[in-house]
Amino acid sequence: MNRPNLLAHSRIHRRGLLAGAGALALLGSRPARAVLNIDINRGNPQPMPIAIPDFVAGSPGDIEAARNVTSVITNDLRRSGLFAPISPQAFVERITNGDAIPRFQDWRVINAQALVTGGITRQGDGRLRAQFRLWDVFAGQQLDGKQYYTGPDNWRRIAHIIADQIYETLTGEKGYFDSRIVFVDETGPKDRRVKRLALMDQDGFGVRYLTRGDELVLTPRFNPTTQEITYMAYGQGEPRVYLLNIETGQREIVGNFPGMTFAPRFSPDGQRVVMSLQQGPNANLFVMDLRSKQTTRLTDTPAIDTAPCYSPDGRQIVFESDRGGSQQLYVMPANGGPATRISFGDGRHSTPVWSPRGDYIAFTGMIGGQFAIGILRPDGSGERILTEGFHNEGPTFAPNGRVLMFFRDLGPGPFLYTIDVNGRNELKEPTPSYASDPAWSPLLS
Amino acid sequence: MRMRTASAISAGVHIAVLLWATLSFTGKSFDAPQPDPLPVDLISDKEFSELTKGIKEAPKPVEKPKPLVEKKADEVKPVEEVKPKIDDKKPEIKPTAEQVPQPPAPPKPDAIAEKLKSEPDPRVAKADPTPLPPHKPPRPQPKFDASKIAALLDKREPERKAALGSDLNTSPSLGAPMGNAAKLSQSELDALRARLMALWNPPDPGRDAERLRITIRITFTRGGMLAAPPMVLTSGSGPRFMAMRDSAVRAVLIGQPYTMLRPEHYDSWREIDFTFDTSEMYKDLPTR
Repeated sequence: MNRPNLLAHSRIHRRGLLAGAGALALLGSRPARAVLNIDINRGNPQPMPIAIPDFVAGSPGDIEAARNVTSVITNDLRRSGLFAPISPQAFVERITNGDAIPRFQDWRVINAQALVTGGITRQGDGRLRAQFRLWDVFAGQQLDGKQYYTGPDNWRRIAHIIADQIYETLTGEKGYFDSRIVFVDETGPKDRRVKRLALMDQDGFGVRYLTRGDELVLTPRFNPTTQEITYMAYGQGEPRVYLLNIETGQREIVGNFPGMTFAPRFSPDGQRVVMSLQQGPNANLFVMDLRSKQTTRLTDTPAIDTAPCYSPDGRQIVFESDRGGSQQLYVMPANGGPATRISFGDGRHSTPVWSPRGDYIAFTGMIGGQFAIGILRPDGSGERILTEGFHNEGPTFAPNGRVLMFFRDLGPGPFLYTIDVNGRNELKEPTPSYASDPAWSPLLS
Repeated sequence: MRMRTASAISAGVHIAVLLWATLSFTGKSFDAPQPDPLPVDLISDKEFSELTKGIKEAPKPVEKPKPLVEKKADEVKPVEEVKPKIDDKKPEIKPTAEQVPQPPAPPKPDAIAEKLKSEPDPRVAKADPTPLPPHKPPRPQPKFDASKIAALLDKREPERKAALGSDLNTSPSLGAPMGNAAKLSQSELDALRARLMALWNPPDPGRDAERLRITIRITFTRGGMLAAPPMVLTSGSGPRFMAMRDSAVRAVLIGQPYTMLRPEHYDSWREIDFTFDTSEMYKDLPTR
């Protein structure tokens, strides 16, 4: 293991000596032996086995709350498809103190790679204190740990927030569990459907109705910044686009247009609403500033331009248009201008929606009487179909851009489904009855 | 005067063109995919000669190893064949046709002679004018009797032998022209890589997945366990980096013990840098 001696020459003059010393210093900074280097350029993505024992209750009265919080966290992580919660029956160690270091050996034997411990304690003022710790079982160290205070009715949100925290620590991506879905709840026989706007947590719990059902409601969309919804309603007279504050119940008409307005959507800053305005046989895109109430025309074509959606940076708008003969997707600058067609796959493309992550645009594809949900990149490349069948429609992205929700009608009525952008992990969303037109809210916190 | 101006312009333009060419034609180097590194050990002259010199007191080969057979055949008596006598001192071969075969001289502890003796040289046999062995009367052909099949079965005990490396190659080295240091073989490397690929559960990639690479230095014990906590050589920050780093460290920890690494090659795998990246994984997403 001898290193060649750089100073072996018998006659060394000063400069040579210095150079040699410099070179030696350089060599010295390297490891003494050649370390073998192995490239692992392929992994084996699988749901990560995670153990979530029941949170420890601070008092006997909190046992139920602790158990509920644990089950919501477990359910969130399981539904994401990225985690495989281990059955509590397999647990060796019983967690009795949410703050103590667990016996990692006991969790390694059941092959848990991550472990969540925590506790729920009722404070003197009636609030709940929830705290959790996330452990890396094989490294034997804590990865994360936080505590939250909330009102006792808010335990569900706290559970979602903890699940988001675990998700982000283990996957490196923002979670999406602390978010809500607005959708059209459908009841009654097919010819006399009652359609109401409804709101629920992303896991299908806590359903709340926002309208009474005396008018037809369509295409609800969330404001990305506040708890506000825009949607189209058919009451008496012309269908109109409305704004609805879901906290106060207050609603207003967007713009004073002479004709039907539809397919509204907020800009990413929540300050504007872009929508379609029917003008004779054609429809064009307009944007309205919500503060100044000023409206601007974006397109002026003898065609049906509709379903506009902003890019997450607010600079571009993707929309569908039949200007080329059939419904296809186009992208144009947010303040109007020349539009570029981006969809060139088979069939027609409609209802585009831009991922909050900016990397994909999801759409409804129509080929030969079948309705599919697909995605493509904003430049039109990489188009792929995630699910197809008789009727799938209206995709909406989760706040982290990883999951899509859409509705599927197999005949009797529609239901909501989720699917990952990679086409895996398709799940039915629990809803009280038929449901369509879902829109995913941004993260609540 | 005009001539001089012309030359000046010409020279100027030439210089300009050359300069432009020098600056703009520097070009990109050809990026060849980096080949897998092969384990290399730097050794000194002394170590090399130590590796190649062999062992003086190595036992000399005396016996031919037993053939590795499942069943031992019956001893076949040699037909009256006269063996050529081989002697070091008398390399000449005598025809011994009329002579009664003599018992062979006591074997000398000579490897070559021993080997030659056990395998009669076909050339020698050919040159030998030995008459053909007397013709034996043909043996009566046994009649096949279906009721006595049991008698035909071979009831000898099988003689099994494990085919160990030492059985297959018993020649002790008395020095080799090439030094063959013990090193990590390609199959060990592949097994190690396959194990980590199977265990590594990388986080879902974002847009910049292909740029995230994590290098971890692992020091192993001779038993294939981690001698120290994994040392992450890549620095970074943010949840994506940390999730990727933790997933790589987890894979290395779960993979213990690394039994595919043979102790005799310990020197070459005592320390390994593992580079984890997902670049190969998400190349082939299905498109329509």
